[in-house]
Amino acid sequence: MLEVSNLTKRFGGVIAVNEVSFEVEKGEIIGLIGPNGAGKSTLVNLISGFYLPDSGKIRFLGEDITKKKMHERAKMGIARTFQNPRLISNMTAIMNVMYAVLGSERGSKLSLVEAYGEAAYYLDIFDMLKKRDVLVADLPIYELRLLELARALALKPKILLIDEAMAGLNPAEAERVSKLINRIREEFDLTIIWIEHVLKIIMRSVERILVMHYGKLIADDTPEKVVRMPEVVEAYIGEEVV
Amino acid sequence: MIIHAFGRKYDWIIEPRYWRNPIIGVITLLALPLLMYFFATGVFGIRPVALLSALIFANILAMIGTPLVLQIIGTGRVSFGPHFFVAVGGYTAALLSKNYGFSPALTLPASFFMGALIGLGLSPITIISRGIYFVLITLLLPFILWELTYWRSDVFGAETGIPGVPLLIFTGDVVLDIMIYYYVSIAMVLILLFFTDRVMRSRYGFMMGVINEDEEVALSYGIDVAKIKVITFTLTSGAIAVAGWFLAHYQGSFTGPVWLQPSFLILILLTTTLGGKGAVYGVIASAYFIATLREVTRTQFGEMSVVVLFIILLILLYILPEGFWGLYRKRRYREYVPSIRIRRA
Repeated sequence: MLEVSNLTKRFGGVIAVNEVSFEVEKGEIIGLIGPNGAGKSTLVNLISGFYLPDSGKIRFLGEDITKKKMHERAKMGIARTFQNPRLISNMTAIMNVMYAVLGSERGSKLSLVEAYGEAAYYLDIFDMLKKRDVLVADLPIYELRLLELARALALKPKILLIDEAMAGLNPAEAERVSKLINRIREEFDLTIIWIEHVLKIIMRSVERILVMHYGKLIADDTPEKVVRMPEVVEAYIGEEVV
Repeated sequence: MIIHAFGRKYDWIIEPRYWRNPIIGVITLLALPLLMYFFATGVFGIRPVALLSALIFANILAMIGTPLVLQIIGTGRVSFGPHFFVAVGGYTAALLSKNYGFSPALTLPASFFMGALIGLGLSPITIISRGIYFVLITLLLPFILWELTYWRSDVFGAETGIPGVPLLIFTGDVVLDIMIYYYVSIAMVLILLFFTDRVMRSRYGFMMGVINEDEEVALSYGIDVAKIKVITFTLTSGAIAVAGWFLAHYQGSFTGPVWLQPSFLILILLTTTLGGKGAVYGVIASAYFIATLREVTRTQFGEMSVVVLFIILLILLYILPEGFWGLYRKRRYREYVPSIRIRRA
């Protein structure tokens, strides 16, 4: 479904992503981990089109999307969430999701009332329907995370890039978000690439882990094997991997 | 109500509660000159004709402010050159009338298209520049045109302007003429307001709203930000140029240096800011407030009038950070989209 080959991105003298290559099959859920500054978010930004790579190729559904713009990739089915939730703070929760419904491929065929109805459906999946008329500025971080996921899902993506959905959440909330991510993956037949720092949860939730360190991909295997790899242990020195 | 036409669906809110306030607003605007003319004569020493002229000036500010609000929302940037497009429209109307004998009916579309064409040519600045760079670029445009009017005074007439532009209305009765000009200008404002309102409530309006808040989020929604910015900047530039067309045919001449002055820009920006962020209805209220206040300060404070006017407006900006629309919104705000109960399968 997604092929990333020899992807490189430099910021001045810093190589944020260095010759990274991997493939993602349809329906997979992949964890992307690594210490701070490893290049995980840059990689997600490259896949979503937020940045264009200096070299390398990205193919999605057999098509070369390396030079495609972010909105074109979104229309093709690449949705993302942000490390710090980026929502329209002076709008209600449902309006935020409604924007995504209208921006999606099918949005032009929907009336505003139909788009509103669809937005309510996606909010309900995340148990947020009761908060539909609450201003985003008044929502706590847990509900902002859910709202970001609802908004991304409303784009009817084929692949969902999740950038640290657990940041700022307590363990119980993180557990609930993890379960919801797995639920939407099954219900919507989604492919997911999931950046996460909460390793205990991600190791349980994914089938495959990619580990980045200093911009390079240093491991690509099952969670059980990855935690025993010496280079991964070294990258996480001083931290308990699981 | 959902209207099906040309293979697409259009929403139309027809419940009377959505129409009550706009109807009250329109009736007030239509009755205002008559009420002021008959009942407010001599208040603050203002003559009736001067009062009506002030209301026409309010409509001119609203004609510029309404599309400017749409432009600010759709591009996510505040242009400091709306008066440049007013001058483009004014000069187009004046030059075509004087040199080629075009009637006002012909100079109207010509002014719009000239504004839109120049807007289209300049529209890439809404994509490539932001912050102080966008402000500087848009601020330079009127200064360039200002210099051009002096450099090619044979064409633009410098501070003498271009006289001999055919008047839109001439009956011979000054009061009647000015009353008709008021109604023509308010009709133009209402037409602009109607279209602006429809755009803002359409899917494009929603997309423009996202662009205004966060362009990167808009891109992640699949919104073609560049395309919407170009279209918005082009069409709103054309709409602002129409105000120049009105000025030329209302005054019977067009003098660019008068309208390219920074003080006129400040009045336009204050109109949009005091109206309230992204609020087209607020713009109408603030245009009327500013134009009336300008006339009152002019008669009461003489040479100091501009200073007093701007001090009062600055105080209002300080105490009304959300503008006039903010005041209304606090008391009367309703979400446009009605709540719907969703039943999941």
